[in-house]
Amino acid sequence: MFSSLSPITHGVTLYLDGQPLAANRGESVAACLLRAGVAYNRLTPVSGTPRLPYCMIGHCFDCLVEIDGVGNQQACLTIVHDGMQVRRQNGAASAVEDPTP
Amino acid sequence: MTHSPTTPPMNADVIIVGCGPSGMAAAVELATAGCSVLVMDMQPAPGGQIFRNLEANTRGRNPGSKSVLAALGPSYRAGVALIERFRACKGIDYRSQTTVWEVRPDGTVGWLRGMEAGYVRAPCVLLAHGAMERPAPFPGWTLPGVMTAGAVQTLLKAGNLKPSGNIVLAGTGPLLLLLATQLCHLGVKPALIGRTDNFSHSLKAMRHLRGGGLSPVIKGVGWLARLKAKGVRTVSGLTHLAAEGARKVEAVSFAAGGRRERLPCDLLIVHDGIVPAIDIPNGAGLALQWDQTNASWRPHTTTDGLATPALPPELEPDHCAIRITGDARRIGGADAAMAHGRLAAQAILAEQGKGSGITPQHRKAVRKALSVRPFLDTAFPPGLSASLPDDATIVCRCEELSAGTLRAKIHAGFNNMDALRGETRCGMGPCQGRNCMVSAARLIMEAHNTSGPVPPTFRGRPPIRPLPLGALASLTGLDPRATELLTLEDKPEHDQEDKAHDPAE
Ligand code: FES
Repeated sequence: MFSSLSPITHGVTLYLDGQPLAANRGESVAACLLRAGVAYNRLTPVSGTPRLPYCMIGHCFDCLVEIDGVGNQQACLTIVHDGMQVRRQNGAASAVEDPTP
Repeated sequence: MTHSPTTPPMNADVIIVGCGPSGMAAAVELATAGCSVLVMDMQPAPGGQIFRNLEANTRGRNPGSKSVLAALGPSYRAGVALIERFRACKGIDYRSQTTVWEVRPDGTVGWLRGMEAGYVRAPCVLLAHGAMERPAPFPGWTLPGVMTAGAVQTLLKAGNLKPSGNIVLAGTGPLLLLLATQLCHLGVKPALIGRTDNFSHSLKAMRHLRGGGLSPVIKGVGWLARLKAKGVRTVSGLTHLAAEGARKVEAVSFAAGGRRERLPCDLLIVHDGIVPAIDIPNGAGLALQWDQTNASWRPHTTTDGLATPALPPELEPDHCAIRITGDARRIGGADAAMAHGRLAAQAILAEQGKGSGITPQHRKAVRKALSVRPFLDTAFPPGLSASLPDDATIVCRCEELSAGTLRAKIHAGFNNMDALRGETRCGMGPCQGRNCMVSAARLIMEAHNTSGPVPPTFRGRPPIRPLPLGALASLTGLDPRATELLTLEDKPEHDQEDKAHDPAE
């Protein structure tokens, strides 16, 4: 669906469901997930259907993921940092913060 | 400085929400005149959506930046000077990656950055939070692989990404055509551009052409010529758009020229024009009005941007501290936004006994920049959202409610916005109605069989964006005047349509 305009040179490494992923410094988590070509960032709580970012500017909330243990974070508004732990959401985010690394 | 426990301190002379063209222009004007300005911006760097990531791209920090700058052209680079002036201004406290979850007419603003949150106050709050793409529900619009034109532009500007595979663009408006030419520039050739507008719209629009409004038309004709030269297929008068696929978009179907068609598709890019984002004004209990031509709400403001609280008289604050500028006030594009940002700043300065006052030049600049709107509005009327979705189509993306479900509930008596929201959760998901409110309102009007003056809105309630419990627990700047908390119960009906296109405004 998307391809890089140029290779990542001075990037950072984040972890998607535990797997390392290279990202450009300063980019959003959503951009990074789309580059990786994931099939979804969350499965909806109601019907379990897959979603990917839709608006990229913080309006639609389809890009929700768990970031560093906190659920329901907008991937399109969150800038990557080295060592960031991103988890895709299956259904609603759990209310309890789960700080598992 | 000491202050009595009942009057919380002011954090700045002016708080600006949003840092696009209007917010930056106003901030520079205000700070230059000696005001302290606090700018709350959701983005990591100044520029708004139009100049998104421009600073980093011009510094060439990213190897893809050169091709992005070349593809996006002069209208993107036009923001460089303003951003530089904004950055150089002493007196501007710029807070990036900060979302605003509450604004009150008395000048109180609730903010969130990471896991920190709090309240800040100023005698004047200028809302410059911009626009959003018009929500346009159609079958399959929730599938992975369907994105808005704005989203794809954001990925170009700030994600170093270009689309690949079978790409279809559908909808209307300058942004759709502009994006298509930018993609061609990057060597990405869309399989189809399906325009909902048609020749009769262009013909009608010609009537609104005036001298000053010619340049956008010339630009548009240039884009179309370039797309033609690249051999990109274009159809107009598109209807019945649907995205098909099981777990992602695989094909797109539509009707045009009396024929049904189905194309393989990996990425469907949709755009139905842009509308003012009303989440903050509605949440603040400000009066909205309905703009029939643009089928959208916008806040009710004076020409200088002063907003009007829609509260019953006994709850009305003595003074409304909120002004609204730029595309958040009315859609006009970057030039109009900058011109109005300066005008609004002068209005604020006049109130505070500073500045050189509003000059006829300020007003003329706004008028001139807006003069092309009647042409654009007529040439590119709402298309994908023109007719209401069929029963099977999802209206509320968050709670996955179809138009059929909402119609049945409305029929069963939940026929006002808040009753419908309470019964179905439509508008209660994380997006807080940003995507479904206009459709829900139109479905209610359809049931009442009226084309009534103003579609109803959900009553806005803070927080208008999710506020993590941890952040809430450590709120700073709490207001000791808890009794002044306004309730938005019994908010009166919004104003009726005014002259949406009076360029004299
Ligand atoms: S993609 Fe729409 S809010 Fe993030």
